[in-house]
Amino acid sequence: MPTVLSPAAPPSTAPLHEVIDERIGVALQAKGIAPAARASDAEFLRRIYLDLTGSIPTLGQAQAFLDDKSPVKRQQLVDRLLNSPEYARQTQRVFDVTLMERRPAKHVPQAQWEEYLRTSFAANKPWDVLVREIVAADGADANLRPAARFYLDRDGEPNLLARDVGRLFLGRDMQCAQCHDHPLVENYLQADYYGLLAFFNRSFVFTPKTEPKAVVFAEKAEGDVAFKSVFVDGAADQPARPHLPGEKEIDEPQFEKGQEYAVAPADGVRPVPQYSRRSQLPVLLPRGDNVAFRRNIANRLWALMIGRGLVHPLDMHHAGNPPSHPALLDLLGERIAAMGFDIKAFLRELALSETYQRSSELPPGVEALPPDSFAVAPLKPLTAEQLALAALQATGITDVQRAALGPALNEAALDEKLAGNIAPFVSIFAGPAAQPEQDFQATLEQTLFLSNGSVLRSWIAPQAGNLADRLNRINEAPAVAEHIYLCVLSRRPAAEEVVELTTFLQARAHDRPAAIQGWIWGLLASDEFRFNH
Amino acid sequence: MMGATVGGGLAHVSGLSNLIQPAVAEELAARQKRVLIFFLAGGVSQLESWDPKPNTDTGGPFRAIPTSVPGIHISELLPLTAQQMHRLNLVRGVNTAEDDHGKGAVFMETGRRDSPAQRYPALGSVVSRLVAPPTMALPGYVHIQPGGGGVNKADAAFLGPKFASITIGNGQPPAYLLRPGDLTPAADQQRNDVRLKANQRFTARRRTAETEAYSASYEQARQLVERADVFDVTKEPPQDQERYGSHDFGRHCLLARRLLEQGLTCVKVTHTNYDSHSENFDFHIEQLGEFDRPFATLIDDLAQRGMLDSTLVVVMSEFGRTPNINHLFGRDHWSKAWSVALAGCGMQKGAVIGKTNDNGTAVVDREVDARNLFHTYLRALGVDSTANYPGLNRPIPIGDPAGDAIQELLA
Repeated sequence: MPTVLSPAAPPSTAPLHEVIDERIGVALQAKGIAPAARASDAEFLRRIYLDLTGSIPTLGQAQAFLDDKSPVKRQQLVDRLLNSPEYARQTQRVFDVTLMERRPAKHVPQAQWEEYLRTSFAANKPWDVLVREIVAADGADANLRPAARFYLDRDGEPNLLARDVGRLFLGRDMQCAQCHDHPLVENYLQADYYGLLAFFNRSFVFTPKTEPKAVVFAEKAEGDVAFKSVFVDGAADQPARPHLPGEKEIDEPQFEKGQEYAVAPADGVRPVPQYSRRSQLPVLLPRGDNVAFRRNIANRLWALMIGRGLVHPLDMHHAGNPPSHPALLDLLGERIAAMGFDIKAFLRELALSETYQRSSELPPGVEALPPDSFAVAPLKPLTAEQLALAALQATGITDVQRAALGPALNEAALDEKLAGNIAPFVSIFAGPAAQPEQDFQATLEQTLFLSNGSVLRSWIAPQAGNLADRLNRINEAPAVAEHIYLCVLSRRPAAEEVVELTTFLQARAHDRPAAIQGWIWGLLASDEFRFNH
Repeated sequence: MMGATVGGGLAHVSGLSNLIQPAVAEELAARQKRVLIFFLAGGVSQLESWDPKPNTDTGGPFRAIPTSVPGIHISELLPLTAQQMHRLNLVRGVNTAEDDHGKGAVFMETGRRDSPAQRYPALGSVVSRLVAPPTMALPGYVHIQPGGGGVNKADAAFLGPKFASITIGNGQPPAYLLRPGDLTPAADQQRNDVRLKANQRFTARRRTAETEAYSASYEQARQLVERADVFDVTKEPPQDQERYGSHDFGRHCLLARRLLEQGLTCVKVTHTNYDSHSENFDFHIEQLGEFDRPFATLIDDLAQRGMLDSTLVVVMSEFGRTPNINHLFGRDHWSKAWSVALAGCGMQKGAVIGKTNDNGTAVVDREVDARNLFHTYLRALGVDSTANYPGLNRPIPIGDPAGDAIQELLA
């Protein structure tokens, strides 16, 4: 079934962020919802750093931004961060988890895959180009071998690839349509599932005898898929040829028996068919006129920044689960395609919107607001990596490493120094491998790790140049408060927080260093630290 | 009504408060169901355990002995277990058609055939999600095994890591359970007060289910730290430690009893290694010789304490072993006709369901597979296994719709 577009929006020359706010605003008015106030500078500062760089600002960065009087300082900060090397690394992490779901590396080393993603985002490679590289890759071309990880580290399993290509690039999780038409989703047809499967059913992971490590994704010239519903007794097999969901089956060239191969299969020989089914996918999938493809990425980037998709869950685009703002999603899809799938430019528009820049605090007297109204910024739990990096920055361990690197300091060198500290957080805070990201859960292991684990305790304990050490050298309690709140929570303390901390330290003057460490832990373990707000 | 609604309702309440009225807590405890899984890793031989075929070409050297249920015989390698037969049920017609260790384990534990495109949660994680009280300080699913500890997130699949198994490696308590030596309880309390004060301010106008869940995890951790000795089996009376045996499996079974008595919902005990491709008979003398006493003792203790009626006990492997005896006196992987034992939780007692032929090479009556067993476990626990999981953002049935429960086991 072809996707039906909502009535075309009137052409607008306004910047996209203004159009977003206009559309969201109209819907809010229609529902009579008064949105939350604009985020404070401090709220915005922490949020944009976490979203675009994966960590919180340093003390100096926080002070500089909060003290900046320029009316365009938010826009300037967005531009600076988008052009920072930290942006490329953070976006690499986001798309690594999105595309590979923390599978262990098997045929392509994790480091090579990460470097491929990082350099792609550093160069601002358009999304359609990136996806084309990934779905075209077979692992034989050394330059693009990392891109083949998507296929190879899923062992080329056709059902898994059909499901994940549907979910990740088209926003449709058609798993339930494997055995029958989806019982609850009328658009997800078994024929569409098998149409996607047919791109892959002839493909297999081939291991060359001479180089067992240089596996490639190969393809045969024969093999068809057919399906029947498990719900219909005695149903006849229905053949399926490759097609994207809702589109027509591809016409395929026919070859005479014996002519199907450019390189015929033989023992130890990688076969090459005259006609490759799989090679049709990079032609058909990553296109600006592929509505599902462009909407999927627009929705995913929206969710990344704004905390929830216009379609939610992200891989359930179907008629029974319509977007909260259909015309806006249409427009975002059209715009990102028209922008040449420029990820940075699109993220910039989202970041500049008032919708993104709302406070996470509900208006006074309001108990709750519908999450799909985007009237208030949602709390986004920090990812495992964000949590580790933010804790490293907050406790001053990152500062210590910066100082140690001296003139050799750059983003890559610092990342290498910190990587070992991120690993334990990933093992404890990341979801199960090969599962999509879950809704937020707080596990016992995580909380015990933060409470009793030696990792965080060692960061909090004083060592030359870290937060505790610096605080131990500050005498005046208000100055201690200013320093600790800026470092840990990226904001200045409220007056009553200064009073509380002063009282706390006075009462524990005999053991001031322990008291300071207790205060640092209390803030690190707080909701305000755990969530991007 | 499905049992899950108990958990669902409470989860809603716990969003507002961790405190349950004492009367409610008591009622819950009375209704509280528990699960005890024995996983005999490698694949126990049904012929040397639950379905002996003495004096046949496949039967091997061991005799079949009478049990506490007239007419039911099991292998002589399980003499003490035989005396518990009136509390156990045998399913002798299991055909899982999966001879790979990994895939066999996935099928048995999740009730779904292993599929690359979708992993389903293991029984213990399902129980942790649907049966365990959401407000309990103790983890919902603990796995005791020889070797290392940790958290197996894959067990929980789409239910999320909160419902993963926490593995007690060789009796060691879970990681980070113990407060560091240089942190006094008073200092711990003080830093916790700082956290609470900060949260109070932050959530005044930002309270969400996520902040509630995060706060609750600190309260749960605090309570568990106070009860750290729940995991300390040496706190059990010396005479019990003697009854269970001083070897690892004996201590692990006693720890399982301790955890279940303290209110933990699902405990899995792994006993290895039954993968006897050679010297099958010596292997089983040794392994089942170790298994028999602690297992029978634990069944007896649960019954004596009145806990067996509310505790589902399952003894499973990834598959059974070939009737054919190979040239190394071993038996190989065999999933076509093997047995699972189960007990408790209001099920039948002393029943045998299904039958294999004379030399055990095929199921001849009431063939079942892991899907039927999985539905049966959940039905025994009061969960409607044909319903969808609650609280997911997509419809996923709890049990495989292609299977159903073994009705005649359910009382």
